[in-house]
Amino acid sequence: MISDITFGQYYPSKSVLHKADPRMKLLLTFVTIIFLFVCKNFLSLAVMAFITVLAVAVSGVPLKTILKSIRPVLIILVFTAALNIFYTKGGEVYYEIWKIQITEKGVNTAIFTIIRIVILVVLSSLLTYTTTPTDLTTGLERLLSPLNVLHIKVHTLAMMMTLALRFIPTLVEEIERIMNAQKARGADLETGSLVQRAKALIPIFVPLMVSSFRRAYELAFAMTCRCYTGGEGRTRMKQMKLSVRDFVLLFICLTACAGVIVLNIFFEAVI
Amino acid sequence: MSAVIEVKNLSHYYQKGTPLQVTALKDINLTINQGEILGIIGHTGSGKSTLISHFNGLLKPSEGTVLVDGEDIHKDKETLRNSRFKVGLCFQYPEYQLFEETVYKDIAFGPKNMKLSDDEIKERVLRAAEHTGVSIDMLDKSPFDLSGGEKRRVAIAGVMAMEPEVLVFDEPAAGLDPAGRKKLIDLIKDYHRSTGCTVIVVSHSMEDIARLSDRLIVMNNAGIAMDGTIQDVFSRADELTEMGLDVPEITKIFAEIKKRGFDVPPDVYSVDRAVDVIRSLTEGRAGL
Repeated sequence: MISDITFGQYYPSKSVLHKADPRMKLLLTFVTIIFLFVCKNFLSLAVMAFITVLAVAVSGVPLKTILKSIRPVLIILVFTAALNIFYTKGGEVYYEIWKIQITEKGVNTAIFTIIRIVILVVLSSLLTYTTTPTDLTTGLERLLSPLNVLHIKVHTLAMMMTLALRFIPTLVEEIERIMNAQKARGADLETGSLVQRAKALIPIFVPLMVSSFRRAYELAFAMTCRCYTGGEGRTRMKQMKLSVRDFVLLFICLTACAGVIVLNIFFEAVI
Repeated sequence: MSAVIEVKNLSHYYQKGTPLQVTALKDINLTINQGEILGIIGHTGSGKSTLISHFNGLLKPSEGTVLVDGEDIHKDKETLRNSRFKVGLCFQYPEYQLFEETVYKDIAFGPKNMKLSDDEIKERVLRAAEHTGVSIDMLDKSPFDLSGGEKRRVAIAGVMAMEPEVLVFDEPAAGLDPAGRKKLIDLIKDYHRSTGCTVIVVSHSMEDIARLSDRLIVMNNAGIAMDGTIQDVFSRADELTEMGLDVPEITKIFAEIKKRGFDVPPDVYSVDRAVDVIRSLTEGRAGL
């Protein structure tokens, strides 16, 4: 049940994508997602699909694991497809019953949208599969560091994100422990009206809050003891360095993006 | 002696059907008798906690059955719910389960869930407080204002107040100093003596177990490796060491004394008994 949370899941491997610089990965994911929405016809979309397949192939993450990340958005997929089929009108009419028309344009838009969402989900989950949460937040911190000029504390935000991610499994474990302890005292969490069930959560949440605050204090103590004073002047043991590998990835990605623009210009737009 | 809990061919697998499947318990058969103090020891991951979580139905057996008072606890919802009150489970570090505004209310949480009358609840809370040495003026305080040891006793009182037929403690003395440990062990002993109900104690500490229980179960590799009296089990010190367990320090010392050629019994597991043995030895010598 709660232990099924897969958010921010990392799949350990030694692939090119795993070794690539997190900053580059973040940037490229961002760029490809933008170009996903620049695509105007199936040919340009095929280019994006191709580099997605390529990325999955070299990532070393099993296809089954990738497919698992699509499962949560299945309902959204079905929903958008249905909406597009029934509400987009234009082109040849394939089928007509009463007021509902299924048209060429509707079918095209539906297929287009599905592919687009699937690529979007696969690419972004590939990012978390190939990058550890720590690397991800560090990369984000570095990429956003220009915002420091605007007095936005990027380091603090990144640190908070790292800590939040780090404590998800700990909290899940804690919730399970407290739930068992209260169930052993006869707490009934499964039956009753909505109000009763909400009330039944009090014995879970109060101890959880108390222990979270205790943990936070302890962590703050431990960080202070290790001379943590915030981001200023802090150096890293693992320096992020762009290598040839990262520029190859950048080159492939930019070529694909250029291809999308060219195909958009020379072929008729479908959507 | 009649059986309170009977475990028949119990197996439990975590993440069953996945490549990550772990066998936590394998074909366990166990009978726990009315009124005994049973100790369960085993190294970390030997299945102790998984086993006791089956006694009140928190976990459902993958295979096999658990009977409490001769009834399968997973027969229906009602039986399952009643098993929670028949078998009181006190987890490791129980002080982290406290949540109410006052100590009184927290101890009353279990009895309240049993839907007892207010008078009955009050009686039970007071009785449990007395058993655990929680003073009357403590009852109106917030549980979060108490010291660590006091919190632990309040949490134990919360389980005792349900007045279960079987009371199960998972590492009751974990994290306490020696004085606190002894106090808690004595508390459990007194509780057992005055109520006569069945007590099960899970622990790493051989000393604590030796002070408490009559019968001892040793768990190893998801199964029961030994089942017998304290003397039976501690006399198999070599096997225990192989399982990554340890016998009490005093027993080790006596094994060493025996090696040096003195005729001492192999079943010395408490300091009191050691004193007696040494006394009889020296007296025997004086007689020579």
